[in-house]
Amino acid sequence: MSDFLRSYLTVGIFLGVAVVLVSALLGLSSLLRPSKPTPQKSIVYESGVDPVGTGWAQSQIRYYIFALLFVVFDVEAVFIFPWATRLEAYGLFGLIEMGIFIFILFLSLVYAWRKGVLRWV
Amino acid sequence: MIATLLAQVSSTFEPPTLDFHALAPEITFAACVALLYLVDMIKLEDGRRLMPGLSGLALLAPLIPIMTLALDGADRTLFGGAFVVDNVALLLKAMFFLSGYVVVLLSTNHLAEGDFWESEYYLMLTSSLLGMVVMSSARDLVTIFVALELLSIPAYLMATWEKRSLRSNEAGLKYYLMGVFASALMLYGMSLLFGISGSTLLTDIGARIAEGNSSTPIVSLAIVLVIVGFAFKVSAVPFHSWAPDTYEGAPTPVTAFLAVASKAAGFVALLQLAFVGFAGRTDVVEPLMWVLAAASMTVGNLIALRQTNIVRMLAYSGIAQAGFILAPFAVMSDSATESLTAVVTYLVIYAAMNLGAFVIVIAVARKTQSGEISSFGGLFGYAPGLTVAMTVFLASLAGIPPLGGWFAKFVVFKALATAGTPWGYSLAVVMAVNSVVAFYYYALVLKAMWFDEAPYGDTSPVRVPVSLISATGLTAGATILFGVFPGLLGHFTGSLEGIIAVLPGG
Amino acid sequence: MWLNQFLILGALLFCIGVYGVLARRNGVMVLMSIELILNSVNINLVAFGAFNGTPVGQVFALFVIAVAAAEVGVGLAIVLLIYRNRTSIDLDAADLLKG
Repeated sequence: MSDFLRSYLTVGIFLGVAVVLVSALLGLSSLLRPSKPTPQKSIVYESGVDPVGTGWAQSQIRYYIFALLFVVFDVEAVFIFPWATRLEAYGLFGLIEMGIFIFILFLSLVYAWRKGVLRWV
Repeated sequence: MIATLLAQVSSTFEPPTLDFHALAPEITFAACVALLYLVDMIKLEDGRRLMPGLSGLALLAPLIPIMTLALDGADRTLFGGAFVVDNVALLLKAMFFLSGYVVVLLSTNHLAEGDFWESEYYLMLTSSLLGMVVMSSARDLVTIFVALELLSIPAYLMATWEKRSLRSNEAGLKYYLMGVFASALMLYGMSLLFGISGSTLLTDIGARIAEGNSSTPIVSLAIVLVIVGFAFKVSAVPFHSWAPDTYEGAPTPVTAFLAVASKAAGFVALLQLAFVGFAGRTDVVEPLMWVLAAASMTVGNLIALRQTNIVRMLAYSGIAQAGFILAPFAVMSDSATESLTAVVTYLVIYAAMNLGAFVIVIAVARKTQSGEISSFGGLFGYAPGLTVAMTVFLASLAGIPPLGGWFAKFVVFKALATAGTPWGYSLAVVMAVNSVVAFYYYALVLKAMWFDEAPYGDTSPVRVPVSLISATGLTAGATILFGVFPGLLGHFTGSLEGIIAVLPGG
Repeated sequence: MWLNQFLILGALLFCIGVYGVLARRNGVMVLMSIELILNSVNINLVAFGAFNGTPVGQVFALFVIAVAAAEVGVGLAIVLLIYRNRTSIDLDAADLLKG
């Protein structure tokens, strides 16, 4: 078999495995599970308290915005750590670079503040 | 672990020497974008009226360093090869800035008259363009990835911009899910490429996978995943399903932006990956590209035939055009220079003519409030200027000489023919048949405009704001100019030895 | 070879993620599946980086993590917007645009 065909064979095998895996998982679970639906089974918790209302309870939207801001700024800190561990080695160049980076982050924080996102209404 | 590994490197850390002239377009533009944020931050609601003008200026300012760099003419390589400024990169950057400027012109009235957040829209638009400009120079997996996300994430938001409209919501959601899934697939491919070569530089990857003793199946898998990721971005069949829905649902200026700038950015990335990174493995790239190109042209054109909504028709025609742009990739080993020239030329001309078509759609929809092709009926009777301009754009898209689209198709044919392989010739035949099919649906719109009656006999004139007139002028001028003086682009695409140095025999 | 274990873990996570994206109909679940794919990429990058003895893999992984956070922020905002406008995040219900 030529190199060309062999290299595409891998792609084919990968595709095949993906299809087989998905269909096997779905097929196996539908074969194994008994299907006797009753109204009790389709509620969210089969035992304990009956759920009231929909699964999408209203939670305060402001939590969501704060959580989002937290996640984004939290993750940006990831870039500061490698620099901080080798502060001296990077010298002035590293300091200036990190200064620019933190300035832009700071700008976005001020932006969020000016747009009234940080206010707890 | 990070600390120990970094310690190995940084004990010998040398600050990179920065060529500020080469970085000037990006730095200027980034500073301008930061200024826009500051203006929005300080003036809040009062700044709304300033934003279109300021973002227009921000988009035009970086053209000055681009011009000085072009006059200087030397290829500049920074960061050990991760960032390359050559003539092609400069041409693409200028194209992104100018199409961004046209999109600002398109958006001004549309946004001011609708229920939109205005200032933030321009911030998103400029941020996205910053990503595209960086993409033009990126020759490194990390840079390509960050540029791709920088240009995509604001675009997802822009597609959803009409907050209360379910259609716009749905458009944004579909675009987002497809885009994120595609970049996840692409990233998995990139991680494999990094594993094989131990480097993220495209030149290193190219050299490593060309050696042939690396694990071939993994290389193929990686290449296919990366290309599939970008095939979503440029909406090539069979990864196009999001495009028509997103184009129809999103606000029309955003659609113009997605159809032109965002798609072009995907092609720019493909260009660098294919010609620099994967040049050693054209046996994997070429058949895949052949299939993608042929499928995109055929499916795009056939579905475009039965569209009644002009934006959906332009979406499917865009898919077909993507097929034309992909075609030269299928012969990249046999006619490297011609293929590269063809892709870049087609991209620039496509940007001008497709943006132009969207300008007219937006101008006409201001009166008719409709996207149906029938709403163009009798346009010549009450808006002859718009009709003539639309005729120019559609004829150019169809490839009628002496307009830009004709020259774009010509260079693609030339690249396919120069290759002289059965693959090249067969693709040229597919392309020729499709060009003929495409005539039909463009002609349907022309017929409606020139010969049909206006719907409900409504022939009140269309009031076209100045911004749309200048946008029409810019795009129509470019479309005609590239057709009449095709040599203009050759000046930039002529010196391509730098980028294709790694191609075997190229 | 110890590299293989990481790659197999990565490939498994990747497959589960792709399965989730294709089979799940809940917007938030699709987002979580995409996160799985991105994490499989991170595992690959870090394993390859350590195997090749270069920190570039970890640096790449840091970028993936940061960008993924931004992506998910935008994704949740879009899903939330849709939930507000139509009180459902079932992706099959989003079918206004067809043709």
